[in-house]
Amino acid sequence: MKTRILGFVALTAVAAMTVIGLFVVPADLNQGDAQRIMYPHVASAWLAYLSFGVTAASGILWLWKRDLRFDAVALAGAEIGVMFTAFAIWGGMMWGRPIWGVFWQWEDPRLTTTALLLALYVGYLLLRHLTDDPERRATRAAIVGVVAAVDIPIVHFSVEWWRGLHQTATIGSPDRVLNPAAPMVFVGTLLGMLGAFTLAWGYLMIRRYQLARADVQREEAARLDRLMSARTAQPAR
Amino acid sequence: MSTLRREAGLALAIARKDALAELRGRHATVSTLFFAAVVLLLFGFALGPDSARLAAAAPGFLWLAVVFAGILAVNRLHLLETDDGALEQLALYPVARRVIYAGKAIGGFAVMLVLGVVVLGAVGVLFSVDIAAAWLPLLVTVVLGAVGIAAVGTFYAGVTVRLRAREVMLPLLMLPVLAPLLLGAVRATVAALAGDPFGELGAWLQLLVAFDMIMVVAGAATYGFLLED
Amino acid sequence: MTDAGYVITAYAVIIGGLGLYTLLLWRRLRASRGRDDEAR
Repeated sequence: MKTRILGFVALTAVAAMTVIGLFVVPADLNQGDAQRIMYPHVASAWLAYLSFGVTAASGILWLWKRDLRFDAVALAGAEIGVMFTAFAIWGGMMWGRPIWGVFWQWEDPRLTTTALLLALYVGYLLLRHLTDDPERRATRAAIVGVVAAVDIPIVHFSVEWWRGLHQTATIGSPDRVLNPAAPMVFVGTLLGMLGAFTLAWGYLMIRRYQLARADVQREEAARLDRLMSARTAQPAR
Repeated sequence: MSTLRREAGLALAIARKDALAELRGRHATVSTLFFAAVVLLLFGFALGPDSARLAAAAPGFLWLAVVFAGILAVNRLHLLETDDGALEQLALYPVARRVIYAGKAIGGFAVMLVLGVVVLGAVGVLFSVDIAAAWLPLLVTVVLGAVGIAAVGTFYAGVTVRLRAREVMLPLLMLPVLAPLLLGAVRATVAALAGDPFGELGAWLQLLVAFDMIMVVAGAATYGFLLED
Repeated sequence: MTDAGYVITAYAVIIGGLGLYTLLLWRRLRASRGRDDEAR
């Protein structure tokens, strides 16, 4: 019931912030309408990082406490994180075309890093699909999730360096949205969108977790069933 | 101190076993090397025949060929173990898990080092790059790259070795993780070949060292969980 | 495409995708729970 209320609030917030971001907030002086893409783009990127952080933390907790509920949280984080990563990349591309003139800007470390992030966690999800035993799956996924999370800062740092040492002109980057000169309306809209998306994230995490638990219980029941029928099939001595 | 020495000895014993098995099955080693050579040839077809352009892209070819062939090599090092249930026996050894990881990783490192040196030589010949002039920084780069690929590869090969779709999953999981290594190694090679005009070689080598250390620690810390499952 | 076109495309995919994922999640959840009840 409480989850349902959260879902309702999240739905309203996202709808309201979409309307505000599209129609209410004035267009940016430099970037024009394209700047409106920044609101959902930045919010998606933030939630992607949050999700993967949750996945890594729950992976460690599983290895430590051996409670499959942590693994369900890790799965929810990875799947929802992949979705938000894809949104962030999509938003970045749609923003890059009108501003930079290209969909994919190799000079921008964020886009490249995010693409690698997507690959890392799609691999994580595929690995889960390919392992049948729940505990084995949880262990493998946990360590892959931890190593992936360790890799994220190295990737970001190296890509930033790669570009930095190359001495290329820095073109307007998404950070501009949050620089001190930005008028308060823009900052407020961005924070509003962040809040709305985070609410939606919380709702989806809870529901995805419930699904993961239901799936595990179903798997377990099916296994018991098979065991029982194998037993009864044996002739009585 | 004595436990440390004993553990190092055990790790080296495991590494030697792997390296010996790899050398005895010469077909596998030779085919991995030829695979790397074919990759280099295909890169040449894809971007040639303008030799100036090929020479400029040679550091990228070098490291892509090493990484691709390295995936095959680390996969096989673990395959040796599963063929006859040897990994289970290895897991039963009364030694710390990190010793087993170190042994497998050192074995992988030896194979990667041979691979890296051979591919480096092939790149020098095929794309007329003067590797002799900068042999020391190039060798350091190859060593650091081999450590990183072996550290990551041993860990991921352990994750995927018992999967059905191992051939796809190992590169899919490994390649994005190796991206910083590829980036640093290529940049260091470019800098070394150009005589380091901007003084950036040290920075890239430091990046490689940091990557190697983080991945070795992460691998040693988590490899034990893999042996348990 | 105009700037506005890119803005609309970006919002449509992100907000629409969020909605689509939620709908599919509900369906998966119902399917999983439904089969669970049958098994009992």
